[in-house]
Amino acid sequence: MTVSFKPIRSLLQTGTNTSSRWFSYIGLGIGVLLLLCSIQMYINIQQLLGGESPRKEGYDYISISKTITNETMGQLEKNLFNENDIKDLAAKPFVQGVSPLIANRFRVQLSAGDIIPFSTDMFLESLDNNFIDTVPPNFTWQEGQNYIPIIFSSDFLEIYNVFAPGYGLPQLSEATASQVVVYITCFTPNGEKQTFRASIVAFSDRINSIIVPKNFLNWANNTFGHTTDVKASRLYIKTKDANSPDFLSYLQQKDYKVNKDKTKFGRVKQVLQGIFSGLGIFGLLVVILALMLFSFYLQLMIARSKDNLQLLLMLGYSPNWLSRNVSKQFVPVYILVVVAALALTEVMQWAFHHFVMFDRPELSSMLHWSVLGASAVLIALSLFTNYRMVRKLLYRLV
Amino acid sequence: MQLQLQQVLPVYFESDHRTASEVWRHDLTFTKGEYVKIVAPSGSGKTSLMHFLYGLRSEYNGNILYNSGSLKSFSPEDFAGYRKDHISIVLQDLRLFPEQTVWENIELKRQLNPFHPAEKIREMAERLGIGNKLSSKCRICSYGEQQRVAIIRALMQPYDFLLLDEPFSHLDDKNSQNAMQLMLEESKLRNAAIIFADLERIDYFPFTRLFHL
Repeated sequence: MTVSFKPIRSLLQTGTNTSSRWFSYIGLGIGVLLLLCSIQMYINIQQLLGGESPRKEGYDYISISKTITNETMGQLEKNLFNENDIKDLAAKPFVQGVSPLIANRFRVQLSAGDIIPFSTDMFLESLDNNFIDTVPPNFTWQEGQNYIPIIFSSDFLEIYNVFAPGYGLPQLSEATASQVVVYITCFTPNGEKQTFRASIVAFSDRINSIIVPKNFLNWANNTFGHTTDVKASRLYIKTKDANSPDFLSYLQQKDYKVNKDKTKFGRVKQVLQGIFSGLGIFGLLVVILALMLFSFYLQLMIARSKDNLQLLLMLGYSPNWLSRNVSKQFVPVYILVVVAALALTEVMQWAFHHFVMFDRPELSSMLHWSVLGASAVLIALSLFTNYRMVRKLLYRLV
Repeated sequence: MQLQLQQVLPVYFESDHRTASEVWRHDLTFTKGEYVKIVAPSGSGKTSLMHFLYGLRSEYNGNILYNSGSLKSFSPEDFAGYRKDHISIVLQDLRLFPEQTVWENIELKRQLNPFHPAEKIREMAERLGIGNKLSSKCRICSYGEQQRVAIIRALMQPYDFLLLDEPFSHLDDKNSQNAMQLMLEESKLRNAAIIFADLERIDYFPFTRLFHL
């Protein structure tokens, strides 16, 4: 049907209620603007705070322990991770791997031999090799071997260098420290002991511990501590994003303690994302409200033009064709409103990137594609609700 | 192309109409090319019958069939097609857009399914004596002029049946004959039937069948 809608347009009386129409347009614009800005800010936060912790192959590695409270103090079982804890954690979608940090269950003493007159009680821990950032090929041990390779925390060396002068000990560079042969003495509860030679084969930025090969510690716990079932006091977790809100709320809920530095951004992110989600939902509500206001306007318009529309239907105009064409009248307005909101969002994003973030490379001055997608969806949504409304009202006149 | 009435009676009629009427509660079939005259005194349901046939109302018992399809089962979209392509009407209350000009009123019908080119509007208007009114708003035309607008509007589309409900109530004899002549010519062009309902017999309508409502 190539019927022209032009002569029909004047039959729709729109003149008298322009203010309510403009209010709904402005409302729609504000709602869409809020919604789009929220989406864009949400993405900005994601991009800004996404990758702030030490990473290996795009993963974050962090250690967690149980929080020791006054109630659990002294109850070793409650402060250690059991099999179920580990299984539960490993099953979470935001965890890509879990490895327990096994500690020694016997007394260990370290001495630096004759060169540096230094000896101290200390601890050893073991961890799966693929969780350690620096694993040299000689980080192995076989039963009967008297030499133990050690991976040492860089932080510990730093601490040693801080207090060493006070005790009359030499300060050490990483290179020198690697060459020092130290002696590790393991004691059984009965006082029997065995001494091993050891040296630092690598330093780790990631792990705050003294790591020995896993099979050595298992053997030593069995031999000196007379135990095979050693529960972990710390877990190492491999995760895509240590700042993921899901991950953090899980830790909070389980009352696990985590290295605060690494998740600090995560908490900020959690709060900010919460704020912008709230703002986004508010924007959506405003959009819905505006669409409702608009539907009242449509009802009013159709009620005013009722006689004319009824006469058109009587003459043989198809109700489908009329609904399509009446609602088509508002297409340009809707598109204009959403495009204007989109343009304002773009200005906001540019200003945010340029003036607030000083053109940081993680962000873009351009809008994210999902914002464009959202505006397309909004246009479609408004047109659809509009068409449905007109159609419903027109069919009521038939 | 048939228009059938099967035992049709308005729901709001008393049952004594059954005996008096030659239309109500009867089975009738109208076919293309016929000229049907329905003589109906006031209150006999003339306008109701026209509205039923055109599908404006459906408060009747019985059935009206167009080409064996019951009007009662028509969807709004079906009625649009029915009125656009198959049936045309001149209503007693005319139903024109008061704020549109004469020409616009006719064109609104013509563009829907043009049987004639737009120039034909002027030609017919001249012939019925309202050529000078084409650009006047219908609101300010006399009732007689509006009646002629409604007649011309009804002739702009293709149709199988032309329904006339007291089309000449405000026209003098000369104008009535003139309009009747035009409608007969147009109906002949389409080989269409005319169903003409009026209060009394009109001599210049060459009916082939006559019913008393």
